[in-house]
Amino acid sequence: MIWGALVGGLVGTVVLTTGLRAASELGLTRMDLPFLLGTAVSVDRARAKLIGYALHFVFGLVFALGYWVVFAATGVSNAWFGALLGLLHALFAGTALVSVVLPVVHPRMGTGFDAAGDAPLLEPPGFMLVNYGRQTQLAMIVAHIAYGAIVGGFASLAA
Amino acid sequence: MNGRSDGFLPIRDYAAIGDGRTVALVGLDGAVDWLCLPDIDSPSVFGALLDDERGGRFVLAPSAMHSSVRRYLPETNVLETTHTTATGTVRVTDALTLPHGGLTPYRELARRVEGVDGSVEMSWRVEPRFAYGSKAAVFRRHGGIPVAADGRVAVAVSAWDAGDVVADAGALGASFTTSPASSAVLALSVADQEPLVFPRRGDVERRLEGTIASWRGWAAGRSYDGPWRDVVLRSALALKLLVFAPSGAIAAAATTSLPEEIGGGRNWDYRFSWPRDAAFTLQAFLSLGCGQEASAFFSWLLHASQLTHPRLQVLYRLNGGADAEERELALRGYRGSAPVRAGNGAAHQLQLDVYGEVLSAAAMYAKVNGGLDRDHGRRIAEIADLVCDLWREPDAGIWEVRSEPSHFVQSKMMCAVALDRAVALAEAGHLPSRSVGRWQEERRAVRAFVEANGFSKTKQSYVRAVGDDEVDASLLLAVSAGYDDPKAPRLTATVDAVRRELARGPLVQRYAGEDGLEGTDGAFVACSFWLVEALALQGRVDEASALMEELIALGNDVGLYAEEIDGASGAFLGNLPQGLSHLALINAAVAIEGAAS
Repeated sequence: MIWGALVGGLVGTVVLTTGLRAASELGLTRMDLPFLLGTAVSVDRARAKLIGYALHFVFGLVFALGYWVVFAATGVSNAWFGALLGLLHALFAGTALVSVVLPVVHPRMGTGFDAAGDAPLLEPPGFMLVNYGRQTQLAMIVAHIAYGAIVGGFASLAA
Repeated sequence: MNGRSDGFLPIRDYAAIGDGRTVALVGLDGAVDWLCLPDIDSPSVFGALLDDERGGRFVLAPSAMHSSVRRYLPETNVLETTHTTATGTVRVTDALTLPHGGLTPYRELARRVEGVDGSVEMSWRVEPRFAYGSKAAVFRRHGGIPVAADGRVAVAVSAWDAGDVVADAGALGASFTTSPASSAVLALSVADQEPLVFPRRGDVERRLEGTIASWRGWAAGRSYDGPWRDVVLRSALALKLLVFAPSGAIAAAATTSLPEEIGGGRNWDYRFSWPRDAAFTLQAFLSLGCGQEASAFFSWLLHASQLTHPRLQVLYRLNGGADAEERELALRGYRGSAPVRAGNGAAHQLQLDVYGEVLSAAAMYAKVNGGLDRDHGRRIAEIADLVCDLWREPDAGIWEVRSEPSHFVQSKMMCAVALDRAVALAEAGHLPSRSVGRWQEERRAVRAFVEANGFSKTKQSYVRAVGDDEVDASLLLAVSAGYDDPKAPRLTATVDAVRRELARGPLVQRYAGEDGLEGTDGAFVACSFWLVEALALQGRVDEASALMEELIALGNDVGLYAEEIDGASGAFLGNLPQGLSHLALINAAVAIEGAAS
């Protein structure tokens, strides 16, 4: 099942990335996860995007392992359960991971701790990522539900 | 605001700044009244140029009455405006910055205010209106910075030592007072499909200095040392503003719908690239030592036209797309000149002269680069084959008339030029030679047609269209395009006839006849410079030089030209800055230099 979850993580990350990119093209959000991740490492735009995509896929696999742990612990692994985990994943990302943790660990993103004159370089995402467009959380939820369903589906096929 | 009539500045009061992706127009009174984001052909965010109430603008000016003078910093596209009030003098430097290391905003408009002497109260107000003025901005603070967003695009306003920012409906601004050696900075950062990058003051100032250095570096690489060097260099810099760096395409102008007649409907979107300008562009770029830009434009042209090959569309989008659907926008128009259009319905017209210009460009490109690659050669040959099939058809002509198609003589001449270049390229081994016999035969046929039907013995001139007796300034291009020996009697007589019938002082009208549109227009700047070039190529250097001097005096205070000039008032008309006007200026200067030497 672990290999199924990992393959699902890979495919799911492709779908999630494509979905968010499509939402961006449709003007629903300015969320760009590879850009956000990559600029933590590099200030060169092209290199940041490249690194960001690589990091995003690594994180996609790491999260798939997390899903696998839950599948193993509960003894349930299917697309529906994966989709439910995807929903929780999206809410966690929107309320804590990206909106609170990322600004703290990201060296180029503003937080409430910045003093006057230390203007941040990157626009912080805000609660539920609303700074990047009011439809951002909707796009994130849909994309993560798809990701979770794919991870769950592949994990159940390999079980 | 100073100098405004009905809320609008005269078109000649605008200067352009840009970054190779988009262009902003800055008024003499310090207002940025035009800026499309993220690209030059995107919807406007500042569009007060076309609607002073709904368009949106970025005002930065002394609060009190003032006089203003300005210049481009030497050999740059960075604008410096000096405002003088009763209490002091202040200097504003405006630029769309170029990336210079580090994490830079997607686009950035930087405005630096320096106190020169005395004290001056300055006011600024940023009022973005997204989607051609249709959506007011709502500012929210993200990370302490005011941000306004609409879909894919967001803008952030950062200000340092520029007063306490106050926000009201859809806008924000402040006032502050300068003192000698004081300095304030304002930056409008832009994001497209990504989170905003908020700059720090030091970053903005470094980019501003880097931008000045970059432009100077580019200008230093230009090789022209002939007469009117500064004017030619300014035109080169204006053209460089219109080069869309991501693709190499050249926008015909930075604006849409600045009117050819105040209050009239001749308002067109020129934020597209016209293949017709190919030969003028390559000639100008190669004369100035811009080989890289010339190659990029020629490659873009062949890439863009791939989907319509072998037919050439009249215009293409800057990203190479063929779609240019024309629609009317809900904007009042410059001084009430409606409609305001986005897109250009001329895209699908048949304009035969385009083929002559493109094959002339191919010949120039091949000469400089020692040939064409096999695929380009095959495609140019197929275009020549198409000319053989098409030249007998009526077309819309170079002026894109919206009346019934006609047998425009200049179009037929350029078909002859196209076939002439194809034959020459094939004979040099740059094109497949299988059709050379047909090209030669059709070249003879089209020339015979023009000589039999396109010359009026009563006018002693080639005429606008077969069957009429009017002259047309586009016929001047027959001289520079090499339709015949420049000093051939019929061409010499035609140049004289155009000057006699269409010139008012130094300015030349395009034509005097019907074009299917209501109203009239001003004198066409490019035609005026074409007359200079034609005179120079005919060896009439003194006449050409005198005319050139007069035309140079008609540019605005920073050396820019719109599409047209009202002969009576000297007012600019049409889109600004107009690439064709600046191309024609450069080619005229180069022709005079060539003839004189």
